[in-house]
Amino acid sequence: MRTKLSALLAGIGLMAAASMPVVAHHAFGGEFDPNKPVLLKGKITTIEWVNPHAWIHLEIVKPDGKEACQYTPNAKCEEWMVEGGTPNTLLRRGITKESLAKGTEIVVDGYQTRDHSLARANGRNVTFPDGRKLFLGSTGTGAPTDGADPAEGRGRGRGRGGV
Amino acid sequence: MRARASALITVSLVWLAPVFVAGQTKPASLPRTPDGHPDLQGIYDVATLTPLERAAGQPLVLADEDAAKLEKQVAERKFRAGLPSRGDRDAPPKGGDGSAGAAGNVGGYNNFWIDNGTRYVAVDGRKRTSIIVDPQDGRIPQMTPAAQQRTARATRATSDQQAREDDPGLDPTPGAYDDPERRPLGERCLVGFGSTSGPPALPVLYNNLHQIVQTPEHVIILNEMVHDVRIVRMNAPHLPPSTRKWLGDSVGRWEGDTLVVDTTNFTDKTRFRGATETLHVVERFTRVDADTLLYRFTIEDPATWTTPWTGEYTWPRTAEHVYEYACHEGNYALGNILRGARLKEANAQR
Repeated sequence: MRTKLSALLAGIGLMAAASMPVVAHHAFGGEFDPNKPVLLKGKITTIEWVNPHAWIHLEIVKPDGKEACQYTPNAKCEEWMVEGGTPNTLLRRGITKESLAKGTEIVVDGYQTRDHSLARANGRNVTFPDGRKLFLGSTGTGAPTDGADPAEGRGRGRGRGGV
Repeated sequence: MRARASALITVSLVWLAPVFVAGQTKPASLPRTPDGHPDLQGIYDVATLTPLERAAGQPLVLADEDAAKLEKQVAERKFRAGLPSRGDRDAPPKGGDGSAGAAGNVGGYNNFWIDNGTRYVAVDGRKRTSIIVDPQDGRIPQMTPAAQQRTARATRATSDQQAREDDPGLDPTPGAYDDPERRPLGERCLVGFGSTSGPPALPVLYNNLHQIVQTPEHVIILNEMVHDVRIVRMNAPHLPPSTRKWLGDSVGRWEGDTLVVDTTNFTDKTRFRGATETLHVVERFTRVDADTLLYRFTIEDPATWTTPWTGEYTWPRTAEHVYEYACHEGNYALGNILRGARLKEANAQR
């Protein structure tokens, strides 16, 4: 009985997991090259808070970079763009494009676009240099009263920066 | 707390019973518009863990304790996904990270952008393992032989076997990258992916909010994804068959306290789960309490499925706002995808 139940739960869990990634805005495999993994360490120059996907721009110090760095004095930089998800999800948690100061250092691992002449990658994992995720995840919408957390109060206040 | 919750559920079940049995009764406590119909207006967040279909042999109803276990597993998985990574990590593996589905072997993006719900849908207070309730196995019915042929042709494997082995995430359909008009509608920002706007409206990875605005002549359903708007004309005939729309032509009527929306006149490009332009969707919106709608839909397309099929799930009210989603404002992805394919062709010719 116990085995049957856990098999059942595993089956349902699998169905739920399987039904998730099949649908998404676009085919990541078509856009990015699995044979061009990248690790990018640099400072945020701007965030394009756009749909369908936000793009984080960062400058990476490179001796043969074409432009002067904005946030590292007397150095040359190369600008990269990193694809994230829909801004609405973060906005709902009180995070805006103003939440991260320009010049903030981040680390991104992902894959470069299939067109290697473009300095673009998917933000497979975007963190601060110490490994903390760039934004806090959430079990719900992230709003303090979304009902996902049984311990939460009934107040109408908003957390993490406010809206 | 637990006792109080179950008492509450019992009370609501007793109170709701007449609505479900008769369907035509008018409980005085439900909010109504001045013309006497139930007031369906509000913002609803339909994100849920309950998938459209369930695995073979699973029952429709999920015991509360099992649902709690599964919901806890998901919460833990999301919690783990939010834990710090190694700051001194390397680039991901060459050849891809093995991620399946749309993440296409390159891993998509961080979990913090994803908002696909925390709970299984409850209908009549009982948790559900699938949205589909008919057929009884909770699965989309078999396709007709003609539809099977049609869809098999569309997904016939490319002759470029090596390319497929190199890039398991790539769409193997021939010509899939040859023309922007061959790309999926969601990628082209024409309609939301996964039938989020519908009809039928289905839950997806994020932007699961819908707002209903109601007048005696029209019901408007604003969908956060791609800010698609469906305007339902009440008590009106369908447009002539020559007029085709991406989201179909929706007309509505009241059956007692249930809003029934009938949609036909789809384009031959909408293709919901392989359907043709003869797709016919009937949606039923019923207010079950002050904060919940029951959404039920029946799908019919004799050119695609051997029998009609029906799904249902609840739409809980949310205090959240609906935000804009101007999908074209920064759709770099489509250009990146097509440019990548052209480059690959050029390399092959060299």
